[in-house]
Amino acid sequence: MDYKLVPSVCPYCGTGCGILYKVLNDRITGVLPLKSHPVNEGKLCIKGWNAHAYVHHPLRLKAPLLKTEGRFHKVSWDRAIRTTADRLGDIREKHGPDAIGVLVSAKITNEENFLAQKFARTALGTNNIDHCARL
Amino acid sequence: MRKTVQQWLEEGIVDLFLGYRAVEGHPIPWVFRKDALHELEAFREGPYRYPLEKLAVEILREDPRVRLGLLARSCTERAVTVLQALHALDRERLILLQEPCCPSPLHRGVVCSSLAGPENGSQKRRDGIPRGRPLEELETWEADERFSRWMHELEKCLKCYGCRDVCPVCFCDQCTLQDPELFETGSLPAEAPHFHLVRAVHMAGRCVDCGLCEEACPVDIPLRTLYRKVGALVRDLYGYVPGHEPVPLLWGPLGDGELERLVAGERSREMVWEAVRRCSG
Repeated sequence: MDYKLVPSVCPYCGTGCGILYKVLNDRITGVLPLKSHPVNEGKLCIKGWNAHAYVHHPLRLKAPLLKTEGRFHKVSWDRAIRTTADRLGDIREKHGPDAIGVLVSAKITNEENFLAQKFARTALGTNNIDHCARL
Repeated sequence: MRKTVQQWLEEGIVDLFLGYRAVEGHPIPWVFRKDALHELEAFREGPYRYPLEKLAVEILREDPRVRLGLLARSCTERAVTVLQALHALDRERLILLQEPCCPSPLHRGVVCSSLAGPENGSQKRRDGIPRGRPLEELETWEADERFSRWMHELEKCLKCYGCRDVCPVCFCDQCTLQDPELFETGSLPAEAPHFHLVRAVHMAGRCVDCGLCEEACPVDIPLRTLYRKVGALVRDLYGYVPGHEPVPLLWGPLGDGELERLVAGERSREMVWEAVRRCSG
């Protein structure tokens, strides 16, 4: 039997609370607040306490889905990225770059957020970029 | 202590030992094993407290043969005794390595790092229930003031369920706090004070005054004080202190008359025996 606690950061919002994933035989079974973490000092909100819930959830998306003729189909990453790029290109050409908005997230890293705004401003050519933590 | 753990593992007294280990600078709960004794180099006794006994329950349940050593402060020992009384763990397969620690009204005379909590802010002193004060002192307030002070605290609740999730003696499969007929899920503010009083009642005969709930509360509700009151009632009524002996509290349901006398401050064991006799007769 393998049981360990793995320090991590809560994936839900931009606060960045320290959490401990309880991992039993390679499955995450729960979360404890990381007591020694300077941000949350051993406290969590309800989302942090349940930060493990989606990891092994049967409805979790594990591959990109493409909607064609009203139904979702599993496709490869290459195909998904190509389709997205083509569609964004079409929209940009037809309606201009400001027809596109980019919403980024506290669930991705600071660096990924930076890349997303760089992509919005330089590749797409729009300043329409916003973030859920801009409260 | 590290040597004892090593000896226990080497001699096969236990298969696994649950204590603390420093990982990336954070002392966190860790399962030590014989085939990785080098991990004991970063063994820690604290100072942070986690509900180790709750993790122990999960480990013992997962492997019905494993013998587990457990680093145990006094609160851990009391919680283990309660869990044993409620048949939540197999005490035969659990060996405690005692660690000296914390004083509480239920257990005096040792030292615990978690007692030096945050200072009471001015608003808490003015409108709320300052933490760490004895019950007798808080009960000198008039009932109205006491109620408004408690409501000031309880209305802050975010319903994170952290008090329940961290609690070493909370292990029910179905939790009353998630009963949709009693409490609306996904809605705030929390149903104060019912939400908290329901939990408080469920702590009767269980709470070992470890204080992990209060440490975990993101809005600093003085939960330890609340459950101490419940503990004092159970002690005075039934002569029962959770964690002293591995027997559960036999709960004699109280009638309205008994409850009135209880509220009026009359707490006799005779009264309780009367209720128990009536129930069993």
